[in-house]
Amino acid sequence: MEGNNVTRRTVLRGVAAGGGTLAVSGQAAGSSTTFDTHTKITFRAIVDAVLPETPGLEDSLGAEHVPGGLAVDLEAFLITYANDLFTFGLPYVGEVGNIPIASPVAAVLDLAAKELLAEGDNEDEPSVDRPLSLLEPEDESAWVVRFVAGTFAKLSRRDRLRAIGLLDGYELELSPVSGTVFEADAGLVGQLVVGFAEVIYYSEWEGYDEFTQPPSQREHANDPAEVQSWRQTGYPGFSDGYAALRGYVGTPDGPLGGGDVWTEIDDDGAVLVTRDSGHFRENDYDTSDYEEPYPEGA
Amino acid sequence: MVASEYDAVIVGAGGDGPVAAWKLAEAGLSVLVLEAGPFHGNEKWPKPHEDPGGEASSSIEDLSGELLDEQFTTREFEMVNKLIFGPADHERGFYFRKFPGDGAILQCSGVGGTTLHYTGNHPRAYPASIDEQGHWPIDYADLVPYYQEIEEMCEVAPAPVTAKEELFFRGAAAAGWDLLDELNVTEPGYRPQPNAIRQPDEKLHVDADYDGDFQYPEVEGDTLALGNIAGNPHPRGAPFEEKAKRASNISFVPPALKTGNVTIRPNAFVTDIHTDTWFGDDPSATGVEFRDTWSGDKEDVEAEVVVLAAGAIETPRLWKNADLPENDWVGSGMTIHFGDNVMGLFEGADLDGTLGTDTVDQFQGQDIAARFDYPGLGMLQTVGTTPGLGAILGFGASASGFTFQNDTSDAPWDTMGRLAGRELKETLAEYRRMLQILVVSDDRPHERNGVTVVPGVSDENGSIPLVNYVPSDGDKKRRDELAEIAAEILREAGASHVHRSDSPPTALHVQSTMRMGKVVDTACEAYDVDRLFVADHSALANSVGGVNPTNTGQALAARTAEKIVDRYF
Repeated sequence: MEGNNVTRRTVLRGVAAGGGTLAVSGQAAGSSTTFDTHTKITFRAIVDAVLPETPGLEDSLGAEHVPGGLAVDLEAFLITYANDLFTFGLPYVGEVGNIPIASPVAAVLDLAAKELLAEGDNEDEPSVDRPLSLLEPEDESAWVVRFVAGTFAKLSRRDRLRAIGLLDGYELELSPVSGTVFEADAGLVGQLVVGFAEVIYYSEWEGYDEFTQPPSQREHANDPAEVQSWRQTGYPGFSDGYAALRGYVGTPDGPLGGGDVWTEIDDDGAVLVTRDSGHFRENDYDTSDYEEPYPEGA
Repeated sequence: MVASEYDAVIVGAGGDGPVAAWKLAEAGLSVLVLEAGPFHGNEKWPKPHEDPGGEASSSIEDLSGELLDEQFTTREFEMVNKLIFGPADHERGFYFRKFPGDGAILQCSGVGGTTLHYTGNHPRAYPASIDEQGHWPIDYADLVPYYQEIEEMCEVAPAPVTAKEELFFRGAAAAGWDLLDELNVTEPGYRPQPNAIRQPDEKLHVDADYDGDFQYPEVEGDTLALGNIAGNPHPRGAPFEEKAKRASNISFVPPALKTGNVTIRPNAFVTDIHTDTWFGDDPSATGVEFRDTWSGDKEDVEAEVVVLAAGAIETPRLWKNADLPENDWVGSGMTIHFGDNVMGLFEGADLDGTLGTDTVDQFQGQDIAARFDYPGLGMLQTVGTTPGLGAILGFGASASGFTFQNDTSDAPWDTMGRLAGRELKETLAEYRRMLQILVVSDDRPHERNGVTVVPGVSDENGSIPLVNYVPSDGDKKRRDELAEIAAEILREAGASHVHRSDSPPTALHVQSTMRMGKVVDTACEAYDVDRLFVADHSALANSVGGVNPTNTGQALAARTAEKIVDRYF
């Protein structure tokens, strides 16, 4: 197992040093355009797997539950966000000092996809039709996508998730502006492409005119009509308050709770919700009969 | 320019630094607090994430509730990005810390530190965790008077009941657990959270037909609008000191500034500790070097004592980068309250029967207002989240892959793992009918867990921290049993589907990396460096039983401040 980890680390070091994507995907040469295109295609495939369009939910939940992350261009923001996520640089260079990690992330996902295939753990055969199916009218031509799309984008949605699941055992190398290479746990990639994709999608993000504006210049309507995910969760938007107080939990004779009974918590009325608050008791305590439920081993 | 010399320099204005500042200043000492992040709600920094602003603040007149309202928008994604540990400049990313797996470290920078996004929970440690687990060289009884002082300052009181707390209490009672009413908890049971959040106006009762707005002074206290993780500026319109949540910027910074003896300098990252060896013996701390995070300029300041309160990651990192004497325990023994999430989904008709309404509406009420205590195991607490944070905390991460990869036919939960794809969308569609329970375990300090620095890999503040965390079998068993109790409570409350995340280690509560008895003595002064004290959660000798650590960290900081005065002034 240890040897296996060393191998993985070595492979990924090669990736970072060799310029990321193209070294991984085996293409002979490439410009920064193809580099960016590969990243874009890969992130589109991520969003399509994590927050897909779901026509199957229309009948059970309603038409508002059909569109997914691609309908709100989540992939484009995810790339920007990944590239601005961490700072390493000197203060006067501002955002230039951030570590652009979107392309290495895309490269690592291709590696994970290749491993999934090598292990035979995929359920579906990879196909270039999948990234092609995610093309939009204003996008690159189909032949560019055929040429640049990596293994990850060619997997089925479920297999893409399986590939992401392999990343926790990986080390990822990043190269900050200083030229120093350092390792990050590739679990960071899973966190970024699943966890961060989810928090961004379900947050207020879509409702900004432009999130990358300085904070004081951002506009947000706080209106579910402006945020697709809020329509899907039923979240009404941020509020300054709610008249939602039911009271305070307490007992008829104890110091917690007080005043009129609003409701009973248990069947025999031993625990109540009352209109007023009481207080906690400054009790004497005795720990002499404490026993460890699960003692630490020697 | 701040002055070149103070009686005490405190590194960090997080949850604990302002407590020490207040106590030292009350005793008449001159105090400089250096904070790596911004100062929100202060007129010296009207746009703290866009412009360098002023240099330092020494007057309560600088504090502005109006600015806090403007800066703390309560929009979850924006606020997380503003508060998570990093430089103030919005164009720059977070400071990188290496953490294993797909877990994360959730700490904030800025005056108030991680209390800016904590949920106000202020319970005491379990007495047995101090007196019986063998880690602490002092007794729980030593802490009690300081708890009392902190609880009074933070106005700790029983948290209010809204729908989600009532649902949890019904489940816990039906599962056979007792209601606890004490501060010093020795038996399992459930109770309202002792929260450092002012209780809501009684006119906000569901029966009171309130139809006004939620602006101060029409309403005072909490407005039951969630938002603590996003900073909680409620009630809107209130002066700085009248905000409901008593985070350390609200509870301790104003009284500290009122003494006239405290200067707070934000955007100042401490990168070195100066020492002198006068008698050929242990070195003594004589001051620090800090770096302006906007300009990059470095300055030095001298002090009679240096107090480290940079948090349980940055305090040991600074020690290591400052080239102080080697001590194997510096950075070691980290506990994080190895946690998990268990989610209950409910049918509308069932909720109508128990709550009289067919939704839980977790966005109403306080974020975390009900708890279950189990000394020896840890705690459970209800969590209301806005949907984005709920998605990542409840479903976005798992140590056991995706739900479709896990067979749960014999498990107490219906699904386990990370959710994505159609299953995620289906689950989040039930956002208004779910109740989330956070599992927080009493993990123990193991020497392998903690903070080291990566030689040769530096950011602008020095070698970056490398954090390691591997729970023991005992830690896992404690967490598993708590997760099972959570599932049972949710079932008893009527949940139709229970989901367990099996979360990867995520550092919500980071503590015990500069442990009392190992790195610092019973006054929290370093064994190896005189006049160098630790007044943050890193000095805790263990994870205080798995309860929220803010109260204990602050109580200990208050005690340490008294010890500093006793020893050196």
